[in-house]
Amino acid sequence: MSSIDRLDLRRHDLGQVYRPQRDWIDGRGLLIVVAHFFSGIGAGAWLWSTLYDFRIGQWLSVACVLGLSGVAHLAFLGRWDRFWRMLRRPHRSWISRGIWAIGVFGLAACGVLWPAARSGPVGGFALGLSVAAACAILLYEGFVYAASRAIPFWRTRLLPALYIAYGLRGGAALLLVTAALGGDGFDVASVEAVKLWVVASTAVLVLLYLVAGSRAGGAARESVSQLVAGRISPSFYGGTVLAGIVLPIGLTLGGDALALPELVLLGAIGIASLLGDFYVKYCIVKAGVYVPLVGSAGVQRSGS
Amino acid sequence: MRLGMVIDLKRCIGCYGCQIACKAENGTRPGTTYARVVKREWGEYPNVKRLSIPVLCMHCGEPPCVDVCPTGASQKRECDGIVFVETDVCVGCRACVMACPYGARYFQDESRDYFGTGENAYEECVYAAHQSGVVEKCDFCRARLEQGLEPACSANCMCKARIFGDLEDPNSEVSRLIREEGGFQLNPELGTDPSVWYLPPER
Repeated sequence: MSSIDRLDLRRHDLGQVYRPQRDWIDGRGLLIVVAHFFSGIGAGAWLWSTLYDFRIGQWLSVACVLGLSGVAHLAFLGRWDRFWRMLRRPHRSWISRGIWAIGVFGLAACGVLWPAARSGPVGGFALGLSVAAACAILLYEGFVYAASRAIPFWRTRLLPALYIAYGLRGGAALLLVTAALGGDGFDVASVEAVKLWVVASTAVLVLLYLVAGSRAGGAARESVSQLVAGRISPSFYGGTVLAGIVLPIGLTLGGDALALPELVLLGAIGIASLLGDFYVKYCIVKAGVYVPLVGSAGVQRSGS
Repeated sequence: MRLGMVIDLKRCIGCYGCQIACKAENGTRPGTTYARVVKREWGEYPNVKRLSIPVLCMHCGEPPCVDVCPTGASQKRECDGIVFVETDVCVGCRACVMACPYGARYFQDESRDYFGTGENAYEECVYAAHQSGVVEKCDFCRARLEQGLEPACSANCMCKARIFGDLEDPNSEVSRLIREEGGFQLNPELGTDPSVWYLPPER
């Protein structure tokens, strides 16, 4: 998109009653969604891998959180060379808390994966710290959005719950794909059973989130209508609903009828879930619209 | 002291003088308008009305942009309540843009010029004061205030629709107008407590 197009878009947006947010979705803004996707599934994968003592999963988790998410975070920033300044305000800002969580996770995970430190008190402490940091990563993402007072669709405690649930199921999906690609030493059947429950619960959470949004006033209702019947509906139905909910549940319950090898089926479930995890975050961020600037009680009373 | 502004919607004719004065004073790039004028129409022909609503940073008493800033770049001055961005500290995460209900913050993401032919001499001069990759906003023309002047938008309003002063002084003109003419804030339900007040267009 050329500079002039973007200017026209900005002018157009400023004239709208419900102004869409674009800074966290358009152009380089998409990188923040990518970053949260990878840090979410990475943290989820760490928890599952730790639970089932799956070493390859732990390495993958570190690659997602520190590698892919870290690079996406830095590339998203306008001034990445100053990123360390984001550590300064954990007492006020959820972004700052998230950066701390990612940093602590990186250090603790290295402690867990470092062979010399694996056993003994250091290893145990690092493991506990890494699990706590992974939980904090899952927690902070939703609150980054929920802290935006100007966008009512995000400003609900259901959003952090949704991000936690999707992080957990994304982590499980990543491990399923890893198992399908030949990763061994991992109890696939147990994760598959848990995953079905998690997928079903995320479906319920998405539904609850939409219902809550439709009852939360004009701007949140506008966001819901853009998701279910507006400009974002193709991504919502194709990515979030079909790939993220219908396919994983359908393949899990009716996969036997397809007569596919088990690992291929698991891989398909995992990939569909990962797509759904990405699209739910993409759709929610894209649907954010600001509270109307005018039309507040004072102007309506005086002007109409 | 808490500096603030009262904008009389009955006096404003929507001439965009404030917007131009702001751009001239701050030398902002295309697409960045610290002071802008929003137009709203309602009714049906032949009974149609139009309202011009000048909008700028509200310099909130409880600024949500300051709360979410991870670096401390967004700050509120204790001495006069002006909310500003320390651009040398900003990382361009745009959390403040998401938090501001008034659309008062602009991310400087690329080098744009007005005519698409490269920066002219004037643009080279004024844009040099702006960093890229950071968020910028109205600061009530701090540099002018230090010289004892009003912000450019209120000084140049030909209809005297903008009145600048101390909201905490009960005898100031802004306090009197808010009290006597039914002043109101935009989106008071969000709890931001803006320092920019509006007077109703019909009274």
